Amino acid sequence: MATDPFESEALSFLDALYRTALRMTRSEAEAEDLVQETYIRAFRFRQQFTPGTNLKAWLFRILTNTFINQYRRKAARPETTELDDVEESILYRHMRDVSPGSASPDPEAELIDSTLSSEVKDALEALPEKFRTTLLLDVEGFSYKEIAEMLDIPIGTVMSRLHRGRKFLQKRLYDVARDRGIVAARAMPRPAD
Amino acid sequence: MDCTKCLERLYSYLDRELAPAELTDVRAHLDDCGGCEDNFVLEERFLARVRDSCHEDVAPTELRTRIVARLRMENDSPR
Repeated sequence: MATDPFESEALSFLDALYRTALRMTRSEAEAEDLVQETYIRAFRFRQQFTPGTNLKAWLFRILTNTFINQYRRKAARPETTELDDVEESILYRHMRDVSPGSASPDPEAELIDSTLSSEVKDALEALPEKFRTTLLLDVEGFSYKEIAEMLDIPIGTVMSRLHRGRKFLQKRLYDVARDRGIVAARAMPRPAD
Repeated sequence: MDCTKCLERLYSYLDRELAPAELTDVRAHLDDCGGCEDNFVLEERFLARVRDSCHEDVAPTELRTRIVARLRMENDSPR
C-alpha cells in the first residue's frame, strides 16, 4: 500500500502528542484514547488543513481542544483552577538551605540536576488543568502566539500562566528536595558525643 | 536597564520571545551584572530539566499499530 504523506507526517508527531496527553490526562489508558481520537479527527477534517503550514501545531490544537472539551464535561466538580501566588524568588533564595554544608559551589544547580524526572512529572500533574496545559504546550516548543491561538486566550494570559506555573513547579520541587534531604539526614548515623 | 526590569524579562528572554531592541538591552545588562546572569543560567537549567523529563516518554508501539489500522478503516469507509 502506498504511504499517504499526510499520514506519515502526522504520525511523526505521535510521541510528542502521546507524552503531552499522558501529562494532561494523568492516565496511560486515557492518553491512548485521547491520541487516537486526535488522529481520527485530524483525518476526518484533513481538508481543513492548509498544506505547507504547521501540521504539528494543527494536531496539537485538535489534541488540546478534544482534551479540554472531554475533561470539562467529565469533571463533575471543577478542580481548583487557581494557583496561590508563590514567592517570586523561590528558586534563588531557599535552595541553599537544602544542602547546608554542601561543598558544592553551586547548590541550586546541583538541586536542579538531582531532581528526578518522576518528581518533575508529578509536580506538573499537580498543576491545575489550565496551567498544566499551557506549560505542556510550552514544553513542546510552541511560541506564546501559537499557544494563545490553541487555547483561545490572550498572549498576556499565556505569559502569566507560564510564569506562575513555573514558580509553582519550583516551589514543589524545592519542597520535595527538602523532604528528601530531611529523610537523608535522619538516616545518617548520629555522631558519637 | 536595571535588575528589576531585566528579571521581568527573564522568561521572555529564555523563551526567545523578546523583540530585538529589548534583547540587546537584556544582553547588555547580563554582560555587566553577574547576579542577574546567575539567575538566568539557573532558570534556563530548570526549564531544560522540565523539558527533558517530559520528553522521556514515548508512545507504546501497539498504540501506533492501532492508530494506523484505524486510519486505514477511515480511508476505506465512504465519507
